Amino acid sequence: MKKLTKLFLALSFALSVTTSAFAVVAVSWGGAYTESQKLGYGDPTAKKLGITIDWVDYSGGLSEIKAQKEAGKITWDIIDVFAFDTINGCDEGIFVEFDFDKDFPAAPDGTPASEDFFAPMPSKCAVGNILYSWNYAYNKNNVKGTPKTIKDFFNTKKFPGKRAIYKSALTNLEIALAADGIKPGKGGAKIYEALETEKGVQRAMDKIKALCTDPKGGCVFWSAGAQPPELLMSGEVVMATGWNGRFFNAIVGEGAPLVQVWDGQGLDYEYFALVKGGPNEADAKKALAMMTNTEMLAGSAKYIAYAPYRKSSLDVIKAGEPWYKDGKTEMMPQMPTAPANTKNYFLVDPFFWADNGTELGEKWEAMKAGL
Amino acid sequence: MSSETNKILTTDGIPLEESLKKAERKNKIKAFLLVSPLLLFLIITYIFPIGEMFTRSIDDKMITNMLPNTFKSMEKWDGQDMPEEDVFKNFYIDFKNLVEKKEHGKLAQRLNKEKNGFNTILKKLFRQIQRNKIDENGSFKDQITSIHKRFDNVEYWRAIKRTAPPYTMAKYLKGMDLYLDEKGEISQVAEDRRIHRILWLRTLEVAFFVTIFCFLMGYPIAHLLATLPMKYSNLLMICVLLPFWTSLLVRTASWMILLQQQGIVNDFFVMIGLVADDSRPEMMYNKVGTYVAMTQILLPFMVLPLYSVMKTISPSLMRAGKSLGGTPFVAFWKVYFPLTIPGIGAGCLLVFILAIGYYITPALVGGASGTLISNQIAYHMKTTLDWSFASAMGLMLLTGVLVVYWIYNKLVGVDNIKLG
Repeated sequence: MKKLTKLFLALSFALSVTTSAFAVVAVSWGGAYTESQKLGYGDPTAKKLGITIDWVDYSGGLSEIKAQKEAGKITWDIIDVFAFDTINGCDEGIFVEFDFDKDFPAAPDGTPASEDFFAPMPSKCAVGNILYSWNYAYNKNNVKGTPKTIKDFFNTKKFPGKRAIYKSALTNLEIALAADGIKPGKGGAKIYEALETEKGVQRAMDKIKALCTDPKGGCVFWSAGAQPPELLMSGEVVMATGWNGRFFNAIVGEGAPLVQVWDGQGLDYEYFALVKGGPNEADAKKALAMMTNTEMLAGSAKYIAYAPYRKSSLDVIKAGEPWYKDGKTEMMPQMPTAPANTKNYFLVDPFFWADNGTELGEKWEAMKAGL
Repeated sequence: MSSETNKILTTDGIPLEESLKKAERKNKIKAFLLVSPLLLFLIITYIFPIGEMFTRSIDDKMITNMLPNTFKSMEKWDGQDMPEEDVFKNFYIDFKNLVEKKEHGKLAQRLNKEKNGFNTILKKLFRQIQRNKIDENGSFKDQITSIHKRFDNVEYWRAIKRTAPPYTMAKYLKGMDLYLDEKGEISQVAEDRRIHRILWLRTLEVAFFVTIFCFLMGYPIAHLLATLPMKYSNLLMICVLLPFWTSLLVRTASWMILLQQQGIVNDFFVMIGLVADDSRPEMMYNKVGTYVAMTQILLPFMVLPLYSVMKTISPSLMRAGKSLGGTPFVAFWKVYFPLTIPGIGAGCLLVFILAIGYYITPALVGGASGTLISNQIAYHMKTTLDWSFASAMGLMLLTGVLVVYWIYNKLVGVDNIKLG
């Protein structure tokens, strides 16, 4: 039975393989983000190493790579994943474990890789790629006054109108507590302390529920990164949480009348993982080491406002300002890690979500169902 | 004696009856060979995966094999108070074995699905073992419970005990917001986590109403198609089929543009003065949006079977009904409508079954009240990676569809379905 399953799955995958056997297959989220990866470090690395890197789109999660592994026919080499997915994937033995200082080059000044990273990795199978932010933005044509804080996002008296929030509990519970008066503390530790208790979770859920059932407020739930700027521009909502790179592209790239608010932002990381037993593991490992070096990581920031994971990359950007591809926009103030943007923030805790994601997800859905 | 002589023989001496049977058997085998590719295809793509799903949904052997000693010592534990030292010791032995085989991560994943919070505490225990911090001569209970307060919580040990049997119905129970408690009785999960029953009911409700709406709109269209002269009906047919050829996502996104609060339909309502600018009705990101988009998308599945049935009904039947003294309505109701029932049955069944498993459209236009059970299945497939739970819910959905089919068969009769 087992063997038969494998055979069938392998057959179906073999049929679906479209990429050439010699290219390194890198999998990411598509859109402007993959574009920034391909132009920023994918193509330069491929050129230097004399290999081909094919970029494939996916919509997150480990289900596809798990299916490939069960079928015994892995077609992906490098995957761009969320922090908690690197933890889960590492636990399930899907990804290669790294020795950071040995596998990744040091910064130009000689700082070993592990110290050059912005934060320690959540698991041994992850190498940092970017830092991005869950912040919120509003359309200045549709809002009277200027929202400045995360409290304003929940203040429907002062700023009436519908809000767009992310479809699942991730980061919504955190901002609810931050807006409800809990000081995030260092990296948001206080928020997660509160969320460890039933009371804290209830408090956060109640806050969201109050916003969504408020006749002056109301919620629209978004699922794709392109939605928040769109909902704001169409006037469907007055404020929306979203990913800062998408807001940046709408504002700078398309001239949309949006304003980002950084108070109470959730700083989150994105990682690369190397698939164990991928079709081209050796080349993929070399490519990954090069793509995540100081120069290369800085390159992607030319195309999108996400901060490189290496501290030394920021120096490269600073030295090269204005860094954005249009040649006139300074990138440093747009970064989620810029000092002006990190006055009040929390770090999205992957361990907390790896642990409690399922249960909180159920509670969240039950809350949503009762709206 | 008489029966012997009565037998008719063929020219080569074999009784005719036998010879006929032989020829028939040959034909049967030939016929079977003809359909065997289809049969094989069905087995590979349908029967086999369903069997796989079923084993996956009840198979819990992995963890049974991972913690053999723990489960053995747990047999004596009644699940009321904290377990004894013995359980802790065996749990430590099992866990250390897994650490050596580098399989502790798998255990943590599996247990975290049973009870959230296991991931962290098992990782902590793993680190303690790696650093040789656990004194194997001391009390395991004291040492383990001091690693994290959750180890001192009896709920977590009950969760381990629940995973002992190699086969489990737990996933099916979970799909109905139930679970087996420590006494082995079926009980309800906490009220703020009851989500699946709401979703099952909502899925049925949406599928039911979408079917009704499709029927109400599809019947007149199909009738028009079947009775109009060729040159008009062809044009109308293209109008029905055009959405059929358009991508599902494009259609869904178009409805979003049309129906949102600042959308075209609302703009029009404001322009003609039907509603005030600041009280635009919400037609998107709620159930209204789901109904509208799904009805439009599934409408061809209703129209086409109806059309194919109506096309075969001779117009002279209606005329005969009328000439026999019936009003147009009576003639329609007594003559025309009963003749279309096979088409109605096929259309309704098709639309209902498609609607019950729909998930992209509700996910995009449904908003908070638009999540259906299939979205939950996708969530467990992709995000939590709890494939056994996803399989269980998938099978429950399949059973639901079969029940609908059975009820339908009782009420209308499957022989009355006509797909075209």
